[in-house]
Amino acid sequence: MPLRSAPLPRMAGHLSFMRAQNKAICDVRSGDLAVLGLPFEDTSAPYAGQSLAARALRETSVYFGWHANPQFSHPVDIDARQDIQTDGLHERLCDLGDISPGHDKAIHAALRAAASQISRIGACAVILGGSDHLSETVQCALPNCQTVQLGGTPRDARDFHISTLPNGSARLCQSNTATQLTDLSKWRDASRPLFVQFDLSVFETSLGALCDYPRLGGCDLETVAQWLSALGQHEASAIMLTGLNPNRPGMGVVKVGQRLMVTALLAFIYARLGFGIDHPGCPTSKENVPT
Amino acid sequence: MTATITTFHPPLSQPGFRLFDGPLCDVADVSAGQIGVVGMPSDWTHSSRLGTRFGPEALRKATTLMQSMRPQGVSFDPDTRRRSAPADSWLVDCGDAEVTAQDVDATTQAIAAMTEGLTIAGAIPLALGGDHYNSFPACLGYSRGLVKRAPDKRFGYIQIDGHLDFSDRLGAWGSHNHATNARRISELPNIDVSNMVWVGIAGWVDGGDLALIEKQGGRIFSASDVHNMGAAEVMRQALAHAMQGCDELYLSIDIDAMDAGYLPGTGSIVHSGITPRQYYDMLDGLSEAPLGGLDIVEVSPPLDPSERTEFLAAEMLFRILRRFRTRPVTEQ
Repeated sequence: MPLRSAPLPRMAGHLSFMRAQNKAICDVRSGDLAVLGLPFEDTSAPYAGQSLAARALRETSVYFGWHANPQFSHPVDIDARQDIQTDGLHERLCDLGDISPGHDKAIHAALRAAASQISRIGACAVILGGSDHLSETVQCALPNCQTVQLGGTPRDARDFHISTLPNGSARLCQSNTATQLTDLSKWRDASRPLFVQFDLSVFETSLGALCDYPRLGGCDLETVAQWLSALGQHEASAIMLTGLNPNRPGMGVVKVGQRLMVTALLAFIYARLGFGIDHPGCPTSKENVPT
Repeated sequence: MTATITTFHPPLSQPGFRLFDGPLCDVADVSAGQIGVVGMPSDWTHSSRLGTRFGPEALRKATTLMQSMRPQGVSFDPDTRRRSAPADSWLVDCGDAEVTAQDVDATTQAIAAMTEGLTIAGAIPLALGGDHYNSFPACLGYSRGLVKRAPDKRFGYIQIDGHLDFSDRLGAWGSHNHATNARRISELPNIDVSNMVWVGIAGWVDGGDLALIEKQGGRIFSASDVHNMGAAEVMRQALAHAMQGCDELYLSIDIDAMDAGYLPGTGSIVHSGITPRQYYDMLDGLSEAPLGGLDIVEVSPPLDPSERTEFLAAEMLFRILRRFRTRPVTEQ
């Protein structure tokens, strides 16, 4: 049943990702997308503010809470002229809340336990970071996963890294996406789920604006959405958003970073839930999409 | 002996800024063919990020500053590749409409009264938002004025925007807010949805609104259409569609169609990929259109610490008003 039946002003009500239902982790079911906030930041970051990213991403996501507003019908991707039937979204998207503040070890332990439990259930964690150093903790909690990094700093040559600059074995984001998606298919081990780290730095710097570690020459939104749509069609244990600082000095009112991330993340969510948009020239299969 | 005391009277300028540093003028004194500026400093019909109530002031300041930096005499325009000189008496600034916060009807009628008066006089109302809701009262007044000036005339409508704004209602804001302005305009007596065109729509739109527009013959060009077809071609087709059986064009410029990476100072940002150059090319495509009225909305200076948003928006006005603000010079 719908989350609520009366329209609310956009910023009113209880804040959850896309106005999704709140759940306890023990109630998450296989095939769910479970949102988890990490309101923590690395004290070595050049600016303070990444700990505010989880809240900023949730606030922006409310704009896309179609399924929770009875005044709207279904969304249509205006570029593809394709209907996106989100009727089942509220059944499978849930918000678990944030990892509680505490001692550093306790935070890492809680994150490890949560990521591991969601993976064991067969659900996919949507982790709203926070500092990217916490992604190492998630990666450790998901030892069976193959890791795909969009942006950020490459950590392991075995990972599939979509980079904005030439960097070892990393794939450059500007080159032919179709070819790279073929590379992804070759690299992919279908017996293992994915862990996707999605860092704001994958975007063109002039678009991102709120990135503490901007990289010149990044992707446009369409390219990143195409990647996330393709990745969302694979079995995934977690996707983690990092690199957003909604409070960059003097830039607190500029919301372009969170808007970019949430818009692109929706491509992953829709694909994961089977509402995916087919992009021309995107040689992905839908075999792994749960129905 | 007492020295003679003389009083020095320096030339005084009018306080504050006017659009393009034009003269202040009452609506009743505007001449036919002039651009009549109406400020609409209202943003309480926006549902999320406020600040557009400072838009009219920012546009007046930015256009004045940019005008002061342009050639004051005959010059060569690299965009048109023609020589031109500034026109005289082409624009007057009628000040701001009276905005009554919390009273949508009073604000609507105050704005509409000004644009109606300008239209009846044969002037072209240029309304400065404000959030996009204010486009409806501006167009309402234009529509009323057109009925009185030329009862048989109809107008076409082009909305450059990242969003359709065609909802019937929006949450607690009801039927009159920044998501319903185009719907309310479509209900005016001298326009038909089949003469309404949207350009620059990005991302996800409401399926019901989209179906209704297309069922009634409206035309939508997405941001991808602008990229794929080219800004000039999109505008050529948009103008042709909007003007079928119509005499005049009402143009609504929502600056948020431009990608937020360039222009973050607006209430509802989109990542359309539309660049300033593409936006200007679209407006250049309308430079000879039979403009009856226009508005520019959603300039929110507090949301852009870099202040570039109001200058990008000011350049939009320089583009769309080129044929009014300049006169061609043929002599060498």
